[in-house]
Amino acid sequence: MNMLIRKNLVLIITLVVIAFMLGVAAQGMDRQDFVITLLRGLAVGSITFLVASGFSLIFGLLDVLNLAHGTLFMIGAYIGWTVIVRPDTIMDLLTPLALILSGFALGDLYPHLSSRIRLGLRMKRFLPWALGLVSLLVLGFILPRYPIAIWNVENYSQSPVTFSFMASQGTRLPVQPATFTEISPAVALIGLLLASMFGAFGLSLFGKDAQRTVRISWKSFIGFAALLVVALVGFAYNDSLTNALTALNSNWLFLIAVIVAMASGAGLGGLMEATLIRPLYSRPIYQLMLTLGLSAIGIEMVRAVWGRPEFVTPKPDFFNGTGGACPATNFADWWANHCSTILLWEGRVRVYNEIFIPIVGLVVLISIWVLLQRTRLGMIIRAGVQDREMVEALGINVRRVFTMVFALGVGLAALGGVLAAPSTGLSNFMGESLFLNALIALAIGGLTNYPGAALGSVLVGLIQQFIIKYGQIGIPVPFTEIVFKPSPPLVPASTVLLMVIILLILPNGLLGKKE
Amino acid sequence: MTRTSIFAKNRGLLITLVLLVLLPFIVGLFDGASPVAVWNNLSGNSKFIQGLAIEIFILALYALSYDVIFGITGLLSFGHSMFFAVGAYLTGIAIKTLDLSLPATFGIVFVASIVQAVLFGLVLPRVRGITFALVTLGIASVFHIVIMSTELGTYTGADVGLQGVIVPEWISPANERLRFYFIALVVLISIYLLYQRFVNSPTGRVCTAIRENESRAQMLGYNTFYFKLAALTLSSFTAALAGFLHTLYQPIVSPNVAGLGFTVTALLIILIGGVGTLQGAFVGAIVYRLLDFGLRRYIGESASFINGAVYVLFVLFIPFGIVGTWRLRSFQIKQGWESLLKAFHPDSHQ
Repeated sequence: MNMLIRKNLVLIITLVVIAFMLGVAAQGMDRQDFVITLLRGLAVGSITFLVASGFSLIFGLLDVLNLAHGTLFMIGAYIGWTVIVRPDTIMDLLTPLALILSGFALGDLYPHLSSRIRLGLRMKRFLPWALGLVSLLVLGFILPRYPIAIWNVENYSQSPVTFSFMASQGTRLPVQPATFTEISPAVALIGLLLASMFGAFGLSLFGKDAQRTVRISWKSFIGFAALLVVALVGFAYNDSLTNALTALNSNWLFLIAVIVAMASGAGLGGLMEATLIRPLYSRPIYQLMLTLGLSAIGIEMVRAVWGRPEFVTPKPDFFNGTGGACPATNFADWWANHCSTILLWEGRVRVYNEIFIPIVGLVVLISIWVLLQRTRLGMIIRAGVQDREMVEALGINVRRVFTMVFALGVGLAALGGVLAAPSTGLSNFMGESLFLNALIALAIGGLTNYPGAALGSVLVGLIQQFIIKYGQIGIPVPFTEIVFKPSPPLVPASTVLLMVIILLILPNGLLGKKE
Repeated sequence: MTRTSIFAKNRGLLITLVLLVLLPFIVGLFDGASPVAVWNNLSGNSKFIQGLAIEIFILALYALSYDVIFGITGLLSFGHSMFFAVGAYLTGIAIKTLDLSLPATFGIVFVASIVQAVLFGLVLPRVRGITFALVTLGIASVFHIVIMSTELGTYTGADVGLQGVIVPEWISPANERLRFYFIALVVLISIYLLYQRFVNSPTGRVCTAIRENESRAQMLGYNTFYFKLAALTLSSFTAALAGFLHTLYQPIVSPNVAGLGFTVTALLIILIGGVGTLQGAFVGAIVYRLLDFGLRRYIGESASFINGAVYVLFVLFIPFGIVGTWRLRSFQIKQGWESLLKAFHPDSHQ
């Protein structure tokens, strides 16, 4: 018992301090304000946690400070928004993306192939570049001519109210399916497939270990075949699939958006790790700079594709009910009507923003914890965080785990983006501010500590929301008549100050272990 | 050390200096303006080039100050823009609000730069590596937020930026730009010489040792804290000086100079030029500013996309920067050049 207290002293002190502060905060405001602020803090904390946990997994295992994490969060949000608002574009993109990926799915085949071909030294140096160039040329020829539904983004910078009105009138999608005009479909499909295979072959030749004998695993063929099937189905049934998606209930559409955003986030993360970060493991500082550069590029990409207007993702109907029975007074009532708000302790709580998001945060927290503690992958990750070289020496392919963890981390960030989009809206800056929050949360909790990420995120969320609330109410300064009203910019400053103080007392964060 | 040997050692520097002194007049000649016209600050292409060069000098000064803590001492600070912004804003406030003379302003900036270096120094012994980067990021973003806050709007101009600073007539960048150009040049060259002296001094050597292996430096009996503090102080002073010049030169000081983006600019500049090579700051500043200028002119908005791409390409393919790669490979480059002159022979190296 004594040992337990001594081990978790910091945690206990922190919890006591939080409880004390919440108690103090509760004195100064009404109960309904307190409940709403508390829930709001938890919601902000959950979104922060989704970003922070992925970041901390990546930093713990790979020692990469992925400064592009906030940008990836934003990209996830934008992808989710596109799925909900324009499913036809997503369907149009499916075929070319699957075809481009399919060549890379055959990864094991290429070293085999190159070991069979005998080439002169000069030819060997020349071939990868030539293949890559051919691939790029073919892609450059086909992709601009491939029909993808283009639409004016500005039309969609509107409030959710008009959006749901349009949806209810059936005028949401003036679908004008894009068609092949300049090239024939067969040329486009085969060209994309060939370009992807050339590109993958060229890339595999760049590797130094091209000579090793590899057994071709059946898995890669299955992956290849699956991608091909996806591409062909997406191509053949493009229109009917688009119509089905458009006609879909908004709840299902939201779910699909979440899945697509997570998958594309994970794919993007895996790609980033495998191509850009992997060559830099011997130069840690350069990884940092690389991710900084990627973050700038990502923001510009978003600006180029989606422009600068701010959007709002419509909430799924499940959380968006209105009518005479709303706001619901208890959960059974809410379940019957799916009201957008619910009355809790006399406060009107928005169900999606303040109840659903914290629940998702909790679910993710638990499932990742289970993944870390109870699965083989989690065991490897935990061991890798402690001593990467030892794990490598035990014969585990750490590189593959690296890619998976990176993909997982970025996927979590993208999930956070999709979930945050209906409540905070989308803008070009949503990534930066949230990333600063996540960084602060991690610094407070301990950079590589998973529970620490959760604790820090909740702390940051609560403190920000309570300070915003007190900014509206005003803080009476003791022994004077002055009521101090902190202006909104002081909110980030307060958490940053907290971080600096905590780091100065405990350089490894609240739950971080001494190195 | 005799005088001739100093000149022989710094031959490249001297040539650069002479070229830079002659630059406004040469550009003027190309433009058809006589040196007298350039001397009298008549508007023309030369004056425009002078303005660009002054911006490059200020950026180079700022990048130099980052190089000494990041490239030489190995401290990764994400709060470096604060050093610059303190100099810039203090200058503006001292001249505009407090109505001080230029030397007095400079004195204030000098003192403030020392004070903030000590402030950063306070956290030095406690945190290292990434945590130091985070703490400095934190301190700097608090400063950024304070500058942006409406409470101090009358002094700092909040999110619009500090404007309306009346610069003394004898140094005004509009009418006496050539003079400003030479002053900036002299400041830059003297700071560069100071830095070279610092890096080659025993103190600088210990700083390099701290970058390579701090524990070993401590084992050898050096109290690394003092050396890091010395590097920080020097860096802070230089960055504040750059901020001082910036406020005098620019009509408006945007709060962006206190943000993380401006620290990243410094990082980018010394990455382009070469980390830890003092000349890299010059080269990097030239490349960065001209690239930025050209891209904004011909491509427009998406310039920062290309900037990011340049950044990534440099990290992946030229990690030692232009100067660093030149130093590493100068022998091979010379050799390759010679063999190229003899006959085309692709497999000469590697």
